[in-house]
Amino acid sequence: MNRFSLALHFVRRELHERYRGSFTGFGWAFLQPLLQLAIYAFVFVQIFKARIPGAGAPGYVPFLVVGLWPWIAFSDAILRSTTALQDNSALIGKVAVPREILVFAPCAAGFMLHLAGFIVILLVLALTGQGIRIQGIPFAILMYLPMFLYAYGAALCFAALQVFVRDLVQILGQLLTLMMFAAPIFYDRSNLPDRYQGWLDLNPFTGFVEAYRFLLLGHGNFGWGALGLVLAIAVISYLVGSWLFRRLDPHFEDFL
Amino acid sequence: MSEILVRAEGLGKRFPKSHRSSDRLRSLGRLLLGGGDVDGQQVLHDINLEVKRGESVAIIGENGAGKSTLLKLITGVLTATEGTANVYGKVGALLELGAGFHPEYSGRDNIAMAGALYGLNRSQIAQCLPGIIEFADIGAYIDEPVKHYSSGMVVRLGFAIIAALKPDLLITDEVLAVGDESFQKKCVRWMEDYLAGGGTLLLVSHSMYHVQKLCSRALWLQHGKVAMYGDVFDVSQAYLAWHERRQAAVASDHGVRASQEFEIVEFTVNGQDESPAPVLDIGNSLRLRVRAGSRDRRTPVVLFGIARADGTPVYGVSSEMDAVALEGGQSSVYCAEIEFEDIGLLPGSYMVKVHVLDSEGIRLFDTEERTLTVRGESREFGLVRLPHRWIRFVGEVNE
Repeated sequence: MNRFSLALHFVRRELHERYRGSFTGFGWAFLQPLLQLAIYAFVFVQIFKARIPGAGAPGYVPFLVVGLWPWIAFSDAILRSTTALQDNSALIGKVAVPREILVFAPCAAGFMLHLAGFIVILLVLALTGQGIRIQGIPFAILMYLPMFLYAYGAALCFAALQVFVRDLVQILGQLLTLMMFAAPIFYDRSNLPDRYQGWLDLNPFTGFVEAYRFLLLGHGNFGWGALGLVLAIAVISYLVGSWLFRRLDPHFEDFL
Repeated sequence: MSEILVRAEGLGKRFPKSHRSSDRLRSLGRLLLGGGDVDGQQVLHDINLEVKRGESVAIIGENGAGKSTLLKLITGVLTATEGTANVYGKVGALLELGAGFHPEYSGRDNIAMAGALYGLNRSQIAQCLPGIIEFADIGAYIDEPVKHYSSGMVVRLGFAIIAALKPDLLITDEVLAVGDESFQKKCVRWMEDYLAGGGTLLLVSHSMYHVQKLCSRALWLQHGKVAMYGDVFDVSQAYLAWHERRQAAVASDHGVRASQEFEIVEFTVNGQDESPAPVLDIGNSLRLRVRAGSRDRRTPVVLFGIARADGTPVYGVSSEMDAVALEGGQSSVYCAEIEFEDIGLLPGSYMVKVHVLDSEGIRLFDTEERTLTVRGESREFGLVRLPHRWIRFVGEVNE
């Protein structure tokens, strides 16, 4: 209970901190992915003339939104949480804090902000007749839970390693970009030549993107087996992350 | 009252090498694979310590002796390499400066944060807030970011928070040194009340005055080991003695002093010629004797003085003031001896000094100091016990 209220306090602090001193305040959480979306949509629709193959396929913009927005939440949360221990070194050196809370806070705060933005844009798209299924939105929100667990597990891992290897966060930025293009976010599985399509399953994020597409656009296939895989990825990530974190936890202060 | 609050057994800490990134990687590998200990710098060895509820323990020692590390191990900020440290009860800690404040946040936000870390909920924090702001007494700065605070203000706020939380165990690391005089007094007064109310204190300080005033026991750390643990007066006395021996060793390395017109040949306190002077009990007598050499066989003036360890003068008197002529005899060495019958100093650390001045009592030529500890139990205030008597007085006034 105590730990819970402490976590709550840190999440609140994180939310405050992220937009303190910026004019647009919380609106920025919405504006930033929106801008990114506008750029990608322009490049892919106007320049590359991207289209999703198949009859009755969704338009490219809702297709991109449904994959890109959760990805931004995911990668943003991981990148910010990775430096969480380093950023709070002053606190860690002075007070005995449960340190996983320091990682939890930026991760959870990022997810909350981006989820709020996601819901808004989904509603806008649904109301403007872009083919978003409103009844799918609650399930899509539920899908954020395993995605959060996945991101949190990875964040625990990276935050712990970052204490020892300071260049990790730079490498991680590159790796996440690679992972983004290796997931079917900008394209569909069916865009790929047949022999490469199976490779997508090696990317753990693929399952999440296809789940959102299925739930929100009725596009593609997402069965119970795929759901089981997604949940397994989330749980394994969390278990590995917290094992590694607990293992290194007693030594953080020595290396910060 | 014999409940144990802190128990440390065989406590040891080794800091890993962490400067080069290859060292960091190697340590990471070892930690992950569980392959034995990380090599590094051992800063604490085999510390055993038990603090019972209501005790106040000072940790003293030179810089780098491991005092702060010991406190960090006890608060759980650091993890011990060997042994265990357990604390039973709520801890309020002020480690070094800042108490973990976030520089970007206002004082008010940091109070909320510290409260949450201590385990208070929002309404409890709101309840404490006015008391903290009043105690810290930093005015409008409470709404400014902490990065704009002076170091004194940071300590004020940190201490005010601790004072409001009233922890079972208070841990402070050299906190009093930063505050100004009036805030120091306020803190000391608060700590005295806290101790009187059954609080438990672990204090790191270089000020023997604060150590002796607040603590009943002391732990002397030297190179990460316990050099001595026991009654505060005995330990602080031994610690000061060690310091003076070391200083004397350094001074003698600098070679002989140039011959001066007047110089001290010998200075004894109650018959003992090295520092520190023998420990006195309240009411003992103090005898100071000096032999001063005079190059030109002119009679020097000698001034004896007593000051509190922090420099506050208590009493000083010279041979010239009392119109005493020093006896020179045949040689060029003049002797003076003074006795304070019933010294009257309250328990604490003091300095006794002797100064040798020229015959006119104007120019100072040589000085020697000795630390002096007065031991005893007393609840009186101040520095000296003034002679006094209570007068019977029955409320009625004669017409």
